[in-house]
Amino acid sequence: MKLELGNFYVKDVLFGHKTYYKDGILTINKEEAMNFIREDEHIIELDLVIAKPGENTRIVPVKEAVEPRVRPDGRAVFPGVTGDLEMAGMGRLHALKGCSVLGVGMHWGSFGDGLIDMGGEGAKYTLYSQLINICIVANTDEEEERYEQQKKNTAIRMAAHKFAEYLGETVKELEPEEVEVFQLDPVTKRDDDTSKLPSVVLVMQPQSQMEELGYNDLVYGWDMNKYVPSFMNPNEVLDGALISGSFMPSSSKWSTYDFQNFPTIRELYKEHGKSINFLGVIMSNLNVSLEQKKRSALFVAQIAKSLGADGAIVTEEGYGNPDADYILCLAALEDVGVKTVGISNECTGRDGASQPLVTLDVKANALVSTGNVSQLIELPPADKVIGELQALARDGLSGGWAYDEVLGSSVREDGSVIMENNAMFCGDMIAGWSTKTMKEF
Amino acid sequence: MKKAIHYINQFFAGIGGEELADHKPEIREGLVGPSLALNSVLDGEVTHTIICGDNFMGSNTEEAVKLILGFLEDKEFDIFIAGPAFQAGRYGVACGTIAKAVKEKFNVPVLTSMNEENPGVEMFKKDMHIFKGGKSAAKLRDDVKVMADFANKLLMGEKTGSADEEGFFPRGIRAQVWLENGPIASKRGVDMLIKKLNDEEYISELPIPELDRVEIASPIMDLSKANIALITTGGIVPVNNPDRIQSASATRWGRYDISNDDRLQSGVYKTIHAGFDPAAADADPNVVMPVDAMKAYLKEGKFGKLHKYFYSTVGTGTTQAEAMRMGKEIVEKLREDNVDGVIMTAT
Repeated sequence: MKLELGNFYVKDVLFGHKTYYKDGILTINKEEAMNFIREDEHIIELDLVIAKPGENTRIVPVKEAVEPRVRPDGRAVFPGVTGDLEMAGMGRLHALKGCSVLGVGMHWGSFGDGLIDMGGEGAKYTLYSQLINICIVANTDEEEERYEQQKKNTAIRMAAHKFAEYLGETVKELEPEEVEVFQLDPVTKRDDDTSKLPSVVLVMQPQSQMEELGYNDLVYGWDMNKYVPSFMNPNEVLDGALISGSFMPSSSKWSTYDFQNFPTIRELYKEHGKSINFLGVIMSNLNVSLEQKKRSALFVAQIAKSLGADGAIVTEEGYGNPDADYILCLAALEDVGVKTVGISNECTGRDGASQPLVTLDVKANALVSTGNVSQLIELPPADKVIGELQALARDGLSGGWAYDEVLGSSVREDGSVIMENNAMFCGDMIAGWSTKTMKEF
Repeated sequence: MKKAIHYINQFFAGIGGEELADHKPEIREGLVGPSLALNSVLDGEVTHTIICGDNFMGSNTEEAVKLILGFLEDKEFDIFIAGPAFQAGRYGVACGTIAKAVKEKFNVPVLTSMNEENPGVEMFKKDMHIFKGGKSAAKLRDDVKVMADFANKLLMGEKTGSADEEGFFPRGIRAQVWLENGPIASKRGVDMLIKKLNDEEYISELPIPELDRVEIASPIMDLSKANIALITTGGIVPVNNPDRIQSASATRWGRYDISNDDRLQSGVYKTIHAGFDPAAADADPNVVMPVDAMKAYLKEGKFGKLHKYFYSTVGTGTTQAEAMRMGKEIVEKLREDNVDGVIMTAT
């Protein structure tokens, strides 16, 4: 399977009379763009705001991030979501690099939403401070969940996917600055030199723990709660086969942008044919009951073994309860003779003294740690807020609170905030960008 | 200039060895023995040295701690440093005991240094910075220097590093840090996997300790003849706490005769456990140590015999090592008395 990713490096994003891309500048006709987003009648209030790296701007509540892309052959960027079902992972794809479309609540936040600081001390806590963010700031008519802590955020998230594709159209006919090629030959049809190398799979555990449909990550538009692990080509992940959901505390989340650029897949590609034979991705999920967790671990171990994998990297979109799926899966692989490395974050508490993962197993003897979800973070006021700052305190974001005897509210009168890392948008970068680790003190 | 107070034992003070280990606590102005070395490398002044015999601290802990805290009442100091204690067990425990008490009372940083073999490490490493020290006094200058380097950072308000970087025993605290120009997690993960596949050395970023799981025992086949004992980590003791079991981080246990009691009376028994609200257990100790229910079952003939003693200690903050030692000691007594089964209650 061969995927060609044509990259256009965006240096600036502006509003103008016309929506087009030229020489690194993406210009957006704001009125037309807003009319496009308003085609979904559930969007009842809307603004479009551009946030740039280094600005003293705070964005909250952020629900989703998507890289603007288009497929020149007319297939949907997110098959089964923004258009018809077609196989992803092959052919040509054009991407606007260095920017993302954010779905932001104009007022209302929910458990899995996060915060992004574009500048200052807070910028280091999330990768998204380094991107030019085109923010869809919206309010919706989803009254049934208005005051719920858990929200599906369907309208805003879908708007982000569709608008990312809308912006991608600007580079449909253009020649990219660079073309990256992602190609894996069929597992049984690889040259001898590659086949001789240790075979490796990537096991991904996207978030799918909500029994009610509509909150979970989707694979080709299918809710991953009703799913058992299967074998996928990594190009499918890079090419929009998966989209993010609306449930996991934000710092542990994989946004759709994360899936589209999944750094651990890219890293495995770099070593493919040199030090490893990258077989592909075993796409698993995360579950609630122990029986479901075990079933998925069994599927993963069997697929890995049948494929002849010598090694596996396992990575989970979550912390807490999902640690059980993560550790079970690592242990199940080790039990069938597949050597594992795990990549995830930890939850050691505000004082750092708690057990780092919910379950532990000595078989998980090679782990990479990407951060502590419960680290307390204090940040000064920002000059500008995109969205609504009170959402962090009022709406039950996983790292915010309305009242605490000692710490007060997460949002102070002067606009400064105190929060847990939990609410940093994709803050632990479990997809693999994290330059954080955990150390003993 | 910042001020430090230093704690050493009778041996390092030049008073004497084992025969003088009962030496009562004293405080001296200025420098004694290892304090000279400490003072020479500290960005501050060691104003006083406290000296105490290891045996005195070991067998009269409460009195020793009270006396020393009393010495410190009217002193100004920014940091409290004990030892280094090397491999000397009683000295290590003394350093840990007094440093913990000073930290709790005066809320100043406390540091000490011990060899990894010193039992004081396991007992106190979660309560303070214990630096990894040598086996014997030959390492005195090195060990003092490591402590002083860290102390200087604290005194100057500088950033301190992780346990590995600074050389102290991990305190069970894990926090996130940014790797300077560090590789991203994906790269670290792939590199780690390649090393693991090639049987090369690698370092897991989250080492998982070996769990010491105890197999579930086989069931007692005939309960009608069984001798059953009661054990609790809920701190139920006679009101005068005759065995002086600690309210937290226990190192002692006791056993109490219940052969003539139908239930534990409030006012006769109470809990000394510091990890929960004692009101309910003090009002009715049977809610933690169910002697009443067991006596009732005994009368009904549900089991053969209730062992004459119940055993008690405190679970909160108690180290695994201490718990294991106490467990072994208790099991020995239970075996002597032919106990067949145990009901263990927590809090």
